[in-house]
Amino acid sequence: MTAEPNSGYDRAGTGKARPPILELRSITKRFPGVLANDDVSAAVAPGEVLALLGENGAGKSTLMNVAYGLLDAESGEIVVEGSSVEIRAPRDAIRLGIGMVHQHFMLVEPLTVTENIVLGMEPTSAFGVIDRSAARAKVVELSDRYGLKVDPDARVMDLSVGRQQRVEILKALFRDARILILDEPTAVLTPLEVRELFHIVRELVAQGLAVVIITHKLDEVMEFADRIIVMRAGRVVGETTPSECDERGLARMMVGRDVVLRVEKAPPHLGDVVLEVDGLTAQDDRKLSALKGVSFTVRGGEIVGIAGVDGNGQGQLVETIMGLRRPTAGVISLKGVDITRDNPRHTIQAGVSHVPADRQRRGLVLEFDLAENLALGDQRMPPFSKWGVMDRTTMYSQARELISEYDVRTPNEKVAAANLSGGNQQKLVLARELGRDPEVLIAAQPTRGLDVGAIEFVHRRILAERDSGKGVLLVSMELEEVISLSDRILVMYEGKVVAEFDGGSVTEEELGLYMTGGGKQQADEVASPQEVRGA
Amino acid sequence: MPEPATEPRGASTVDEKQFALDQARYQRILSIATPFISVAIALLVGSLVILASGQDPLAAFSAMFSGAFGGTRQIGETLLRATPLVFTGLAVAYGFRSGLFNIGAEGQLFLGGLAAAWLGIALGGLSWVFSLPLMLLGAMAAGAAWAFIPALMKAKLGAHEVITTMMFAYIGRYLVSWIVTGPFKDEGSIPQTPELPVSSQLPRISDVFTFLEPNRAHMGFLIGVAAAVIVWWILKYTVLGFEARAVGFNPIASATGGISVASTTIKSLCISGSLAGLAGAAEVMGVHYRLFDQFSSGFGFTGIAVALLAKNNPLGVIAAAILFGAMSAGAGTMQLEAKVSPKVIGVIQGVIIFMVGAELIVSWAISRVRMTRGGAGV
Amino acid sequence: MFSEIFTPELFASAVRLATPIALAATGAAVCERSGIVNIAMEGLMLVAAFAGVTAALLSGSTWLGVIAAVVASLVFSALHAWASVNLRADQVISGTAINILALGITGFLMQTIFKRPGTTDSVKTIGPLLDLPAGGDSLLGRIWTWIDVALLSYTPIVYLGVFLAIFLTWAMYRTRWGLRLRALGEHPRAADTVGVNVLRGRWVAILISGAMAGLAGANLTLEQVGSFTEGMTNGRGFIALAANIFGRWIPGGAYLASLLFGFADALQLKLQLFSDTINLPPQFFLMFPYVLTVIVLAGAVGKAAAPAAVGKPYKEKG
Repeated sequence: MTAEPNSGYDRAGTGKARPPILELRSITKRFPGVLANDDVSAAVAPGEVLALLGENGAGKSTLMNVAYGLLDAESGEIVVEGSSVEIRAPRDAIRLGIGMVHQHFMLVEPLTVTENIVLGMEPTSAFGVIDRSAARAKVVELSDRYGLKVDPDARVMDLSVGRQQRVEILKALFRDARILILDEPTAVLTPLEVRELFHIVRELVAQGLAVVIITHKLDEVMEFADRIIVMRAGRVVGETTPSECDERGLARMMVGRDVVLRVEKAPPHLGDVVLEVDGLTAQDDRKLSALKGVSFTVRGGEIVGIAGVDGNGQGQLVETIMGLRRPTAGVISLKGVDITRDNPRHTIQAGVSHVPADRQRRGLVLEFDLAENLALGDQRMPPFSKWGVMDRTTMYSQARELISEYDVRTPNEKVAAANLSGGNQQKLVLARELGRDPEVLIAAQPTRGLDVGAIEFVHRRILAERDSGKGVLLVSMELEEVISLSDRILVMYEGKVVAEFDGGSVTEEELGLYMTGGGKQQADEVASPQEVRGA
Repeated sequence: MPEPATEPRGASTVDEKQFALDQARYQRILSIATPFISVAIALLVGSLVILASGQDPLAAFSAMFSGAFGGTRQIGETLLRATPLVFTGLAVAYGFRSGLFNIGAEGQLFLGGLAAAWLGIALGGLSWVFSLPLMLLGAMAAGAAWAFIPALMKAKLGAHEVITTMMFAYIGRYLVSWIVTGPFKDEGSIPQTPELPVSSQLPRISDVFTFLEPNRAHMGFLIGVAAAVIVWWILKYTVLGFEARAVGFNPIASATGGISVASTTIKSLCISGSLAGLAGAAEVMGVHYRLFDQFSSGFGFTGIAVALLAKNNPLGVIAAAILFGAMSAGAGTMQLEAKVSPKVIGVIQGVIIFMVGAELIVSWAISRVRMTRGGAGV
Repeated sequence: MFSEIFTPELFASAVRLATPIALAATGAAVCERSGIVNIAMEGLMLVAAFAGVTAALLSGSTWLGVIAAVVASLVFSALHAWASVNLRADQVISGTAINILALGITGFLMQTIFKRPGTTDSVKTIGPLLDLPAGGDSLLGRIWTWIDVALLSYTPIVYLGVFLAIFLTWAMYRTRWGLRLRALGEHPRAADTVGVNVLRGRWVAILISGAMAGLAGANLTLEQVGSFTEGMTNGRGFIALAANIFGRWIPGGAYLASLLFGFADALQLKLQLFSDTINLPPQFFLMFPYVLTVIVLAGAVGKAAAPAAVGKPYKEKG
């Protein structure tokens, strides 16, 4: 290896002065309206874990997508093993030994594990015919060597998220990756799966790989990184090691000001039961049982959090309550009125508001202007319409009020929602859903992908809703968010509520145990709806 | 490779509000510029085709122009040809606005013509005050009915309307062919229905407004203009239109917002069908005064080009329909004077759809203009 | 009457009538598996049919006509590829543009070359690949006649169609090309991130479907009808799309589904001969394939999922 002297790495002070295998020098990347990477430099050496820390939108993923050839930088240089390289497309990156596991997995769901792993580098016999036994053997060999237990013949769509992530890692290893980039690898994992992942990462590093982990989670960084590069608003704002800093300092560096790490909230003033779900069962789109008798209540003035690994029925639960999915059994009632068979419009009008998990696909009609989006769901009701004719004057004047109340940053109410940033889009959804003054708010993943400022705004609004006596059902994959906001926490696993906790009295590890079906809570510990009703 | 800057550069985020405003302006420019650039390119391609066939494109187009706009009679002919296209253009545009591609407007047009012809004769004794509105309504109902099964299949089964409405177009054509040769055939050897009584005929515009020089344009054109205004109003000012547009853009978000996607789909495709039905009625009531096999020369399909060129704007449909009407009206003169086959219009239509569909060509052209302008400023 | 209708000739006629649909449907399966909707099949067949007849008439060689048909279809499918892959146009609209363009251009060239609308002169059609003697009246002879008529009486492109349907099915599930093709239609970004060239893969798939449409057009004019009539494809391209859905986006499945339509067509032609017993106007027989398509589609959709990314333009960067 031709070791070019590099000052950037020595400053890291890990003591092991191994030359970097991948260096990014002065990368600048511009998107319409945003300077995503502004003169960013970073380097990683074999045998180390580099954490790229920053909040959403800081430019971490952009930087790594440049390194992987998914984006073209305006300027800058990429150096692999001391020589400057051109990475125009992923195939260049793969050839140079760079592998990347994206936040949204790049797996072809109907294909098998083996097919996914060999795709693009298929072992073939004559005439391009895939040598399936050779492919399978290689996959088995690799997964044994790194302790990644994956069934080579399973279809990816049948695997859990944690397993799918291993397939992604195997894909990189199959291509002889020496640099592995993991983009927010823990976002979808349970605490236990996170441990297993970091165990695997340690194994990889021990075998000489360089690993870059993109994350916004401070505790993970402190625990697993050898070196930390902090990014904010497209720039590198600091470089350090876990031994040289603490979480508070990292948070300040990441956000640029002091952050309240925990949400401050007053004790709840419980009101009557507003939402009651009793024995709810439903199927998913593949006609498989998704909800297996879910029962719980939400009272006015409380936030009930639902924790669980993605895909354990939370999505179907929200859809069924909203009338978007037909339950096969069970009762949903709002303030004692049965709304089980109500269609979505009636459910909304009965007083259930819904902040969907995917604001761009479900929350907003991106092509609609802001006023039209704010009327969506209420378009058949006064003041927006009468006898089927819309009152556009009122629609636009109301929109102006909501936009200023919810601090949506926009030139006017007539631009398309697509032109707003993610944070402002979410404010728009909140403005609409809270603006109609609901009895119950169902918030699914309300802060996903937002920066800290927007997260704080959303949390404040949700708490204000609770403090005004409304019921809130919060569904989130972010355990920290669930724990800090909720007054009560339900854990969902395989379509059932398997545990219930008081907010604040539970740790992420405890929740994690139940989320994977591990914990055992006595039946009488789970407050049944009957008990709550009696209280 | 630039040297790493020692000092941090300027602000790393651009003003969010300004960005949103710029984007909106750019989208507006694009939507206005696309149709004009598309027509220009299509005429260019048409010219090349004419040139390649050994004729003079300039002579051809000037002959076409004089044939379309050379005098009152010619203008009347242009409006006559534009009339069914206004309706089919509106039909396709309304479908597109709600996310549906009514490629088979031709079939609904056939059924509309059939209903108008049947009602026209059945209501023969009635005053025009009753018979004309009833015939138009009947044609709308027939067009809607012909779109209903594809609409139902789309809403309930997810069967793509491109295939089903197309199949219904063929079925409709054979149905009309049977009716004019069999049950509803006029005496004589020609397969056609009897002529409509005068009370069932749409009068010519120049017969109503007698100060105009006589020409063949009929009241159907004015009805078409009124229909365009109504469709524009529905889309912009009614709950029906709001929900149709919402579903057209994003069915998932619409469903989440409490809109029934299935019922909106059915309503929209049936409204689209009823507009196409009016096209058939206009041809039967205003031009031929009877129904026969080949009474439509693919107006339903030309309606696709009309709608796309108008960017699915109902008022734009009128202009686009007049453009295609003019080409059709001028084609005869073009053939006579410049010896160019009128079929070249089909080529121009195809290229227009292609260009509007591949909007990227236009946005690329605009971005070039922007870049050179921006470059001058730096 | 039954035995008069269900003869080996009916079977043979079903296969013949199915062939243009089947070739197009097989091509559509390949194309849609790559994530591209190709509703231009109708127009591509039409262009091919015209080019085939014209080239055969001008050159005097029917086989040159076949080549011309395929080339013409390839040229127009390249247009579709350029618009839908490179320019990321709406694929349905781009396909419609080609359909209308095809009607216009064939009509225009018809008048320019043949100086008349309607139908071209006739060419000598390509004969059956094998010409075997019929069997006698003995049982063995009758069985031989059955086999001869039902299996061995076809023109070359018919056999080519069967071979291609089998070959493409095998290739889709056993070769590198096939694996990549399926990945493209399900998750093009995933394919891109492992170095598969999405744009090139889709281009190839569209060109394959174009070549298939070319063969379909050639079969229609040069093996069956012998001349070109404006608009003669008569919705076969759209029926092929329905057959592809019914065949679950598998080339072989699309081929078998097309046989159903061919059979329906053959049956309605045959039944028209029995007008004394079945007293229906001819238009109803002519409607039959289209009605059947609607019925089949109503039964077929939702049973198998379309490729997840079909119809969605792919942008390489970002």
